[in-house]
Amino acid sequence: MFKRLIASRSARPALAILAVVALLVALGPLLTPQDPLAQNPYALLEGPSARHWLGTDAFGRDVLSRLLAGSPVSILASLLSVAIGLVLGVVPGLLSVFLSRTFEWISLRLVDALMTLPFLVFAVAMTAMLGNGLGQAMFAVGILITPVFYRVGRAAALAVVNAEYVEAARLMGASTAFIIRRHVLAKVLPAVAVTTAAMTGACLSIVASLTFLGIGVVPPEPTWGGLLATDLTTLYERPYGPFAPGLLIVATVWAMNALADALRDLTAPPQEHWA
Amino acid sequence: MNIAGNIVEFTGRTAALRPRPAPSLPPLLSLRCLTIADAGGQTLVDDVGFDVPRGGTIGIVGESGSGKSLTCRAILNLLPPGLRVASGSIRYGDHDLTRLDRRGWQALRGVDLAAVFQDPASYLNPSIPVGKQLAEALRAVSGLNSRAAHQRALALLRRVGLADAEGVFNLYPFELSGGMAQRVLIAIAISANPQLLIADEATTALDVTVQAEVLALLDELRREQGLTLILVSHDLAVVAQVCDHVIVMQGGRIVEAGTTAQVLRSPAHAYTRSLVDNHARYSIDAVGQSLPPAPDPAAAPAPRPLLEITNLRAAYGNRAVLDGIDLTVQRGEILGLIGETGCGKTTVLRAILGVVAPETGTIHFNGQDISALRGRELRRFRQSSQIQHAFQDPLRSLDPDLTVAGSIGEGLDIRGGIGAAERAERVATALAAVGLDPALSVRLPRDLSGGQRQRVIIARALAMDPAILLLDEPVSALDAVNRIHVLELMRRMADERGVAQVFISHDLGSIAGITDRVAVLHEGRIVESGPTADIIANPAHPYTRRLVQSVLRLEDGAVSRPSPAEQNPPVPPQRAAIPGEN
Amino acid sequence: MSTVAVQPSSAVAPPAPVRRPRKASRWQVLRSLALIVVPVFVAATLITFLLGQASGLDPAAGVAGDAASPEMVARIRHDFGLDRPVAIQYLAWMAGLARGDFGVSWFNGVPVAHLIAQRLPISLSVAGAALVIGVVLGSVLGIAAAVRRGSWLDRGVTAFASLASALPPFVVAIVLILVFSLWLNLLPAAGYIPFSEDPAGWLRIIAIPAAALSVDIVADLSRQLRTGLVTALSENYVTGAVVRGLSPRRILFVHVLRNGAGPALSVLALRVPMLIGGAVVTETIFTMPGIGKMAADSALRGDVPVVQGTLVVSILIVLACNLVINLLLGLLQPATRRKD
Repeated sequence: MFKRLIASRSARPALAILAVVALLVALGPLLTPQDPLAQNPYALLEGPSARHWLGTDAFGRDVLSRLLAGSPVSILASLLSVAIGLVLGVVPGLLSVFLSRTFEWISLRLVDALMTLPFLVFAVAMTAMLGNGLGQAMFAVGILITPVFYRVGRAAALAVVNAEYVEAARLMGASTAFIIRRHVLAKVLPAVAVTTAAMTGACLSIVASLTFLGIGVVPPEPTWGGLLATDLTTLYERPYGPFAPGLLIVATVWAMNALADALRDLTAPPQEHWA
Repeated sequence: MNIAGNIVEFTGRTAALRPRPAPSLPPLLSLRCLTIADAGGQTLVDDVGFDVPRGGTIGIVGESGSGKSLTCRAILNLLPPGLRVASGSIRYGDHDLTRLDRRGWQALRGVDLAAVFQDPASYLNPSIPVGKQLAEALRAVSGLNSRAAHQRALALLRRVGLADAEGVFNLYPFELSGGMAQRVLIAIAISANPQLLIADEATTALDVTVQAEVLALLDELRREQGLTLILVSHDLAVVAQVCDHVIVMQGGRIVEAGTTAQVLRSPAHAYTRSLVDNHARYSIDAVGQSLPPAPDPAAAPAPRPLLEITNLRAAYGNRAVLDGIDLTVQRGEILGLIGETGCGKTTVLRAILGVVAPETGTIHFNGQDISALRGRELRRFRQSSQIQHAFQDPLRSLDPDLTVAGSIGEGLDIRGGIGAAERAERVATALAAVGLDPALSVRLPRDLSGGQRQRVIIARALAMDPAILLLDEPVSALDAVNRIHVLELMRRMADERGVAQVFISHDLGSIAGITDRVAVLHEGRIVESGPTADIIANPAHPYTRRLVQSVLRLEDGAVSRPSPAEQNPPVPPQRAAIPGEN
Repeated sequence: MSTVAVQPSSAVAPPAPVRRPRKASRWQVLRSLALIVVPVFVAATLITFLLGQASGLDPAAGVAGDAASPEMVARIRHDFGLDRPVAIQYLAWMAGLARGDFGVSWFNGVPVAHLIAQRLPISLSVAGAALVIGVVLGSVLGIAAAVRRGSWLDRGVTAFASLASALPPFVVAIVLILVFSLWLNLLPAAGYIPFSEDPAGWLRIIAIPAAALSVDIVADLSRQLRTGLVTALSENYVTGAVVRGLSPRRILFVHVLRNGAGPALSVLALRVPMLIGGAVVTETIFTMPGIGKMAADSALRGDVPVVQGTLVVSILIVLACNLVINLLLGLLQPATRRKD
């Protein structure tokens, strides 16, 4: 599968961007040229220079160092949120097709309810009221994206459970467990992979929005979103300020979306034409 | 391009057969050297040419992929995306249809040229009542006001045999039966009094009785309104019923053409001969010929039947589907189950399989009442795999991610208890039994042809060594050649391995060809049953009689009908559909 | 029947049995929707209520400060009814909601309903304008891309949608501020002017935040509409309409749009909660005193009733929008409504 991804032309730029981002996550904090938290009252709002490649912020902190140091938190937080949403969503989604009607009804209404919540406001409220930490933020985002995974799991299972080949297996005396193993999992996994890629991009954007608002990660701890918030207050002095963190966020989200599209193209069943 | 190709070859022969027509009117439609290619340059329709005289009826016969539908779509400028007319011309009156612009088409389609297709309901917008769509079409081409369009739509609906026009007017497409939907489409097609009507597989997948009615309607409209008709079908008998001339296509080329009588009586091309022969072998006229002599019931006391259904009733919701069915199947016997869509045929099979719970009645298999089995016991009985089934759609009955071996061996895996080597051997044996190369076992369903898939389905059932096999329309999706192969396979399974079978088909020809006995199902009851030859030769129940009479025979149609000249005076009677003479 | 030209034929088939359409009445549709909407509303408010419970916050800190004695805390908790069982509190809260009583702020004692009523118009202005921009632009682009599929326009729309879906609203907002406020000095970048005071000023002030919020909708809607229309365009009934001689314009707007717009409408329904949630970001950036910013500030302060009230109002708006979209879908495609 990975080989085919690399071979697909549309996925290559996305994979290249993601490789760079992965490097930033793994090595970013080690590469910081200066202490990302060190303030310097003699070098406020400086432009790019040999010493500060991306200049300094209103507290005289080195922007490049803050950007590098903020990479792991920004990326890993979204990955963990997706993991929470995946587990809490896909499993009930699958089971809603195979377990009792009551479970199906309750889980469906619960998912509907989650989908009516105003997403960001609720994430902000939940994180802030539960103690405004990174863990709370990831949990809040994870819970709020469960509906997406629930629907994917359920849709995939529904498509399979009504297929004639599943009925054929039942008529040969197959148990539900056998059917899930033999027929359902293979169909659900590609859809889940696509959704995971797409949601990682979406969560990255959401986590960036939260940290932008000072939710989840409290300043002065650096994050990509937090950097943008600082830049916003000094937009007149450093209009180019948002460029670097903004580009990083947009490029990563775009790469995840492109990866999701490429995965979808790869896993989509070939169109059957026959009459 | 070889212009001499098809045209000249046939001109010579047909010219000899027919007397020269006295007045030489120009044809309504004339195709010359038509070649259709896809984006990759592959030729799908190659060098096709024919003339359609004004008021004539031309049938085009061929299998899927023969290019017959593409030819029609080219005439209507409706080729699928990516396909184009690579060369050749299509002349309609003064127009060259291959060069017409959008404005030109707007003036022609729906006005002069009309068409009806297979799966008629899908050609209607699912969100708008059908009457409104008919009125819309009327207003688009005639500029009637909405009241007048409404009135005329109602009249048209009545004209095509929908007596309750007001009721049908307000129905949505999905509320119509296949026959009703086709009548609505025909009403729309004739709404602007077109010159030419193209019917592309317009009666395919309809019940035999409905098919006969729709064909009769088309024929009647044609005569009444002076329509010129192009009838496309994979079924030679359908074409023979209505058309004066037949064109046989294979692999994108015309392989034979001539008057219907001539093509039927002395088919020149091998493919046409096989079509005619197959029809003769698997048709209701052939009943008794291909069968082993029926066992004399008096000779041996009837053994206890393998499967015995007594007073079976079943319902969906509060709508009764089966209303007291009694059936028996003996070992090694093929029982045919016939009846129209919605008569409950499939429900009988589903009740035997334990998918539909009967309201009353019992189903005994080998003396055991299997209709009472539930839960664990039912699963254990299913794992014994004595009852196997093969359903209609071979593509959807196979998991697209499992190889052929995976699908065939699935039942063995569920039953468990055999090693990998034995499993592989049984899969290979099953494949060989249905006439497939064991090397196919590593293929995925999408890499198989329709006929191969259908055989894989049967192999999956055979691998389980069943005592009885339930088959729901196993050949309806297959072309003529594959149909014969599968039917012969079924007969062999019964004769050589003693596998009893219940065989559902809407095609009376298939039923007549291989079954020992038939049961006729009508509105949830068995109205008649007995040895196949008796039922077909002497149908007692009025419904069975209607069914048997509706079956199209090759000898019918153009040959036995009054000659077209009497019906259609302005048309030169013997004018052939063959180009090359002008 | 005087205009009728053709006569019914007697030679054709026996009268086919006609099933009369069971016209589902408006009332039945509403009832089936209520069966879904009411449990969802109950569940969503329950989640909101339990969030307040799980936070473990109480008004004592806000009212009495950090130095409050245990007795004082107990009295305050009693005054707010927080010493009752959770189930009773929930029922009391729901009963209050039914009367329009959202409780009072734990910090300044102002009724929550009053606070929300003050700020809601601001948030609705931005969200509504974003919705209008999104629907208009998204529909135009989606339809154009579907009609001219394969053209540069189609590829452009696809590329735009792909890029736009990667743009978080706050990034878009910053870019728009840079361009329209800082460089071109065309539009204000902060504050709010009510429509009643100065319609033109209102429009200028909500322009950037609404545009920033609408980017997502434009991208999503144009993409879904394109997919839906391309699918619908390949359906047999389009071929049928072409054969019947209908004009391309009529086929597109009467037949294709009606059936192809379903997925796009569903996506729009899913986008509404995002739109209302997005208010928190835009209101922070543009320092607009809307309910999003109020909810965020109150959450950070621990003012539970204000947060809960805001969420309940948002949920109601979302449900109302979903209801409208579902009714619209039912009207456009009666087939989906009556399918069992």
